[in-house]
Amino acid sequence: MTLEDFINFFTKNTGTIIEYTENHFTLVLSAVAISLEIWVPIGLLLTKNDKWAARVLALANTIFCIPSLSMFAILVAIPTFGLGRKSALFALVLYAMMPLIRNVYDGVKNVDRNVIEAARGMGMSSGRIMREILLPLGIPIIFAGFRITVVMTTGIAAIATYIGERNLGRFISEGLVRSNTPMMVTGALIISLIAIGLDTILGAIEKRIVPRGLRINR
Amino acid sequence: MTWENFRFALFEKAPEALFEHSLIVVVTVAIAILISVPLGIFLTRPKFKRFGLVTLNLLNVLQAIPGLAIIALALPILGLGIKPAVLALLFQSLLPIVRNTIAGIIGVSPDVKEAASGMGMSKGKILFEVEIPLAMPIILSGIRTATVYVVSMGTLASLIGAGGLGNLIMGGLSLFRPEYLIVGAGLGAIMAIFMDRMLSYIELRITPPSTWVE
Repeated sequence: MTLEDFINFFTKNTGTIIEYTENHFTLVLSAVAISLEIWVPIGLLLTKNDKWAARVLALANTIFCIPSLSMFAILVAIPTFGLGRKSALFALVLYAMMPLIRNVYDGVKNVDRNVIEAARGMGMSSGRIMREILLPLGIPIIFAGFRITVVMTTGIAAIATYIGERNLGRFISEGLVRSNTPMMVTGALIISLIAIGLDTILGAIEKRIVPRGLRINR
Repeated sequence: MTWENFRFALFEKAPEALFEHSLIVVVTVAIAILISVPLGIFLTRPKFKRFGLVTLNLLNVLQAIPGLAIIALALPILGLGIKPAVLALLFQSLLPIVRNTIAGIIGVSPDVKEAASGMGMSKGKILFEVEIPLAMPIILSGIRTATVYVVSMGTLASLIGAGGLGNLIMGGLSLFRPEYLIVGAGLGAIMAIFMDRMLSYIELRITPPSTWVE
């Protein structure tokens, strides 16, 4: 493979590349949006009940262990899901369970007991403590979970090409089948760059998001 | 879905695939441990501490690269077969172990080290008899993360001709045989969960009682 092949492929297939990238992003965005809507409230609820927290976290851990290709394959074999976006979304949301719930739980649980006590002493209701104390103070850890979820989802979404998603993973799977190296490398490089880019940007935000009161001890 | 297909997948195809898969996992994890534990220890020595952050940042960036992309990049460079697959998997399993080794060793309380050197232990003795044993649970949890990761990415390694359970899944997807999918995917999931449980049990057993938090 020469650089020329590579550039040739890139210029000839710009339309397809843009289409696949778009598909990739819509899948990732919808998966992350659904995951946030489901798992963040559940994570917050779990901070109230340690027994259930342990059970749900163990379940999330177990789900997280399942190889992504296996997860997609199992979902495809279930008639209601089948091939396509429904299975892909469902699998991605299941994977997001562990980083999101774990980090929301840890973030809220890590808040200094004395601060909560002080807030209660000032007469705050538990709803207000959650909104004004626990969430703002836990946000760095919660955001770290969000970052892991986004980067991981971007990677796993590529594998969803095997169950019929037309996204950047398609370049890799087709390139492998046709032994078309420029195609494969283009796909792999674009996905890697997107993943690294997202990770870096979100990492930079993560550093800035720490509330001012918590910055002092650095 | 027929029983006949299912039986064929489970008893004729699965044993070989399972064996190949375990082989890939064991070899990769063994090499990863051999490289990254010494590397992690090396990076915590006072002399080389300044390289620690750079190495960690570099590995962190590499960790963000999706598994499928690594497999795809490994093919043109390394070719087909088990060896390229192991190298590709190795690439991503280094970070968790290096990071946890560094975190574990740095996390050893300075008081303990002080006490050890007060008792006349040499630097090497402190490392092998104090720091490493105390850091072991954390190192092991890094190894566990890496192992689960390798089992998971190992299913993709069949794409570059390494065999394993991925073969069954890919075959099932292209022939549309749900039996193959269930056998391949199910065994993959069971293997990953089993490894995770086993290593976390070992982790629990070797944690010195004095460092138990709860």
